[in-house]
Amino acid sequence: MLFRFESVTKTYGAVTALNNLTLAVPEGAVGLLGPNGSGKTTMIRSLLGLIPVDRGSGEILGLDFRHRQLDIRRQVGFAPEDECLFPRVVGVEFVGYAGELVGMLPKDAMQRAHEVLDYVGLGEARYRKVESYSTGMKQRLKLASAIVHDPRLLILDEPTNGMDPAGRDEIIELARDLSHNKGMSLLFSSHLLPDVEAVCDHVVVLGAGRLLTQGSIQEMKQEHNRWFEVRLKDDLAPYARRLAALGCSTECRDDLLRVQIPPERSTSVLWEVAAEQRKQIRYLRPQRSTLEEIFLKAVEEP
Amino acid sequence: MDPQPTGEIPRSPEVKPLVAFHDVSKWYGNVIGLNKLTLRIPPGVTGLLGPNGAGKSTLLQLATGQLYPSQGSVEVLGQKVWNNSSLNRQIGLCPEQDAFYEWMTGWDFVYTSARLAGMCRSDARDAAARTLESVGMTKARDRVVRGYSKGMRQRTKMAQSLVHDPQVLFLDEPLTGTDPVARRDLMDIIQRLAERGKSVLVSSHVLHEVQSLTSRIVLLNHGRLVAEGHVREIRDLIDKHAHQIVLVCDNYRKLAGRIIHWDDVEGVRILAGQSGLLVETRAPDAFYGRLPELSLSGDTPIREVYSDDDNLEAVFKYLVNK
Amino acid sequence: MPIFDQGYQHWSGQLSGHAWRWLAITRHGVRTGMKIRIMRLFLFLAWMPALALVFTLCIWGLLERKSDLMAPIMQFLSFMRPEILADPRHYRVEIWTIAYDLFLMVELRVAMVLILLVGPNLISQDLRFNALPLYFSRPLRRIDYFLGKLGVIAVFLAMVIMAPALLGYFLGLLFSLDITILRDTFPLLLSTLAYGLLVSLSAGLLVLALSSLSRNTRYVILFWLGIWFVTGITSQMLQEVSREQRRHTVYADIARHQPAMMPRSSDPFEQMRRQREWQREWDRAEQKLQAADAAASKTDWRPLISYTGNLSRLGQQLLGTTKAWRVVIVLMPADQRESFLYDYTGPQYPWYWSAIVLAALFGCSAWILNRRVKSLDRLK
Repeated sequence: MLFRFESVTKTYGAVTALNNLTLAVPEGAVGLLGPNGSGKTTMIRSLLGLIPVDRGSGEILGLDFRHRQLDIRRQVGFAPEDECLFPRVVGVEFVGYAGELVGMLPKDAMQRAHEVLDYVGLGEARYRKVESYSTGMKQRLKLASAIVHDPRLLILDEPTNGMDPAGRDEIIELARDLSHNKGMSLLFSSHLLPDVEAVCDHVVVLGAGRLLTQGSIQEMKQEHNRWFEVRLKDDLAPYARRLAALGCSTECRDDLLRVQIPPERSTSVLWEVAAEQRKQIRYLRPQRSTLEEIFLKAVEEP
Repeated sequence: MDPQPTGEIPRSPEVKPLVAFHDVSKWYGNVIGLNKLTLRIPPGVTGLLGPNGAGKSTLLQLATGQLYPSQGSVEVLGQKVWNNSSLNRQIGLCPEQDAFYEWMTGWDFVYTSARLAGMCRSDARDAAARTLESVGMTKARDRVVRGYSKGMRQRTKMAQSLVHDPQVLFLDEPLTGTDPVARRDLMDIIQRLAERGKSVLVSSHVLHEVQSLTSRIVLLNHGRLVAEGHVREIRDLIDKHAHQIVLVCDNYRKLAGRIIHWDDVEGVRILAGQSGLLVETRAPDAFYGRLPELSLSGDTPIREVYSDDDNLEAVFKYLVNK
Repeated sequence: MPIFDQGYQHWSGQLSGHAWRWLAITRHGVRTGMKIRIMRLFLFLAWMPALALVFTLCIWGLLERKSDLMAPIMQFLSFMRPEILADPRHYRVEIWTIAYDLFLMVELRVAMVLILLVGPNLISQDLRFNALPLYFSRPLRRIDYFLGKLGVIAVFLAMVIMAPALLGYFLGLLFSLDITILRDTFPLLLSTLAYGLLVSLSAGLLVLALSSLSRNTRYVILFWLGIWFVTGITSQMLQEVSREQRRHTVYADIARHQPAMMPRSSDPFEQMRRQREWQREWDRAEQKLQAADAAASKTDWRPLISYTGNLSRLGQQLLGTTKAWRVVIVLMPADQRESFLYDYTGPQYPWYWSAIVLAALFGCSAWILNRRVKSLDRLK
């Protein structure tokens, strides 16, 4: 069990940030989703023991976050959302300092800083001042300073926000590698759902301080019963009409056709009609919900 | 790749471009911003893409008249943009920077923007109310901007760019920091605008968002125009990388045996986990044409067909990351 | 195996207890501070008074030993009273005290400039660049953070106050070759170190509190200059105003008795006599004025406004400077003693008033820090 919340409530004056939140999350790569104001930031802060909660209890990595805050932070690495790099400091010094702040001895911190900077791919750039870094390099430096003490859990808050596609791929690659191959648990909080899909196996959706839904991504994206999505090279309309005539339910939107094959037929009917009308099927897949649909459905449920 | 010389990209003559760049170059001292850019943007949504430092912000600033081109000319709606304040009535800009007057309320901000665009008081009031309603900010419009979340600020920024009903809209990273709910609402607004015949240029790093808005893109790199047009057309023109098509079939090895004989198939990789094949081909048209027959004859019915790299991400990667 | 994994390696080393966390912050702060070129230059200059102190103590040691090296220098010491030069050992404690007092007076100004160079950035930069989550997501408490930042200031002040004090002490000891100095003047060394600690704590916490008030370092620098100069100048001006008021009262008294400014008489001798009389009247008035000033300063609240004034007053008390001066001025003519003392030691109000003011400032600073650097327990 990665972390557990039991009836946790936290209010700031009139605003309730966490409302009787109860959830249990397994180890591995977990995505944290939720609209703005759903309590994600508050949840992360209470996990790190940074804020006291009004009611309820919980534990993370087996440690009670109401009492063992310092121990928790030894085993957790956190890469915050905003930029947090102060100027006039050289990359490797920054990471070494981050390590020393956790309690590493200066020599250990420096050795480890170099190792970790190799891993995130900041080669010669580590000897330059951090103000001269590009956005991608800054994010990687932040990641490096979060893993310098080899934590069991890495929390990433919007790591790919505002990055260009190349940088985004790098971060996703690093996050995937750490969580799948190197045995580090990962809590990935982001609004960019494809990124969450690319990295995480499990997802938790919060809304208005409560848990809306959680589960493994693969399970939640189950196939819809005998519905298929089809795209053709040319005009869909005659194709759709023919299929409807054969007893299939069809829905057309732009260039996407959704077809439900009746139980007495098989998918070969799609190919038969295509051969008949000399159409090219360019896309044929069973319909599965995307993470975005799952999310919007969970959020809009009353 | 068979590159077209810039300036001669075939355009359908009936579509009147709303934004036109003629051989535009812009440099700052020695640093090049844009290099001989010729571009025409028709009505509808167009995505502006490129890595950091490619010249996207320079392009947007030239198009809105904030910068003067070192060479060439920029025209919007047929008029030169520079020093043309009356044209600003037709242009809307949603900038990337987050710079509000923090003491104003959302309503103040949008209403003042409408008044600054030249609308009279009653029109401005109606327009502000309508726009704030459409971006979903009616409930929070009387709160001060300082207390807004990132998503609310983005919505207000969008509102201010729409309030005077411009013909041409420039959006610079309009969806950063917004949660998926706000993102869907804002994307709906953008699409509705495009349907009404406006020209919307969306600059963004988030490729999947651009992809869901439009298939027309403009790709910049190092200040030069790399590609322009529909994603699929561009993909077809990239010869260097063979198309990658995934076929899922229970009897995949037998299927592999059958298609390996075709001339245009350059490679077949087994994807055991998916029980399928990854086929590389340089003649996708011919390949797709033969699939129905392949599926129906023999005992290799094809369950799924999709192309792994017929999307914006692949195009971006192939063209930019050399 | 021959090929080694270049990917991510795990690490299982020792983590020190969080009691030592402040050391990491101090080390980093000192390193950053030393990188500023002006700082290095200034530290170099700050050692000039230190050298002067060392020089003085060595000279005194040689004087005590009546060494031959002193012969050519004796002429420069003619400004001192011959009784002192004749029996240096007797006046040892007093001279050392006065030397240290002058040294500390200069080094207090130096310390204020040092704090100006390194202090404002300490917390203000962390606020500006959002580095607080970086700190507090690691196992350290707010108190460790504050101690670490305070430590930066303490280290720099130690370099200019305590290190020279110690060095001067040991060299002076060596040059006089007399172990009884240790017994006589050891309390002085302790007092100086205590003073250094006092300045570090008080000024350090004050500048940290100011630094946490604004993200813009320029405003913090202005606040600090304000506390240093504006309070000092205001205090001086208020004291001047009250002195002027006293002057008016005393001279008004005289004016009531003297009918005219310059008495005129036909007889030149009479003229001269009356002029002398008139002059003596003025001199007596001046002396009465100075005595009144000295007396008034004993209960004057105006010097409390100046921040550096408070620190100096406490320093004086710690070192026992007033006592030392009293011993020395016994050798002077009686009528000049009080005014001389007042000129050299400044207003002699009770020292615990200053202590109260500094304690209040300390409490205020701690409260401000507590409020400004909240460990992220808020909504945004």
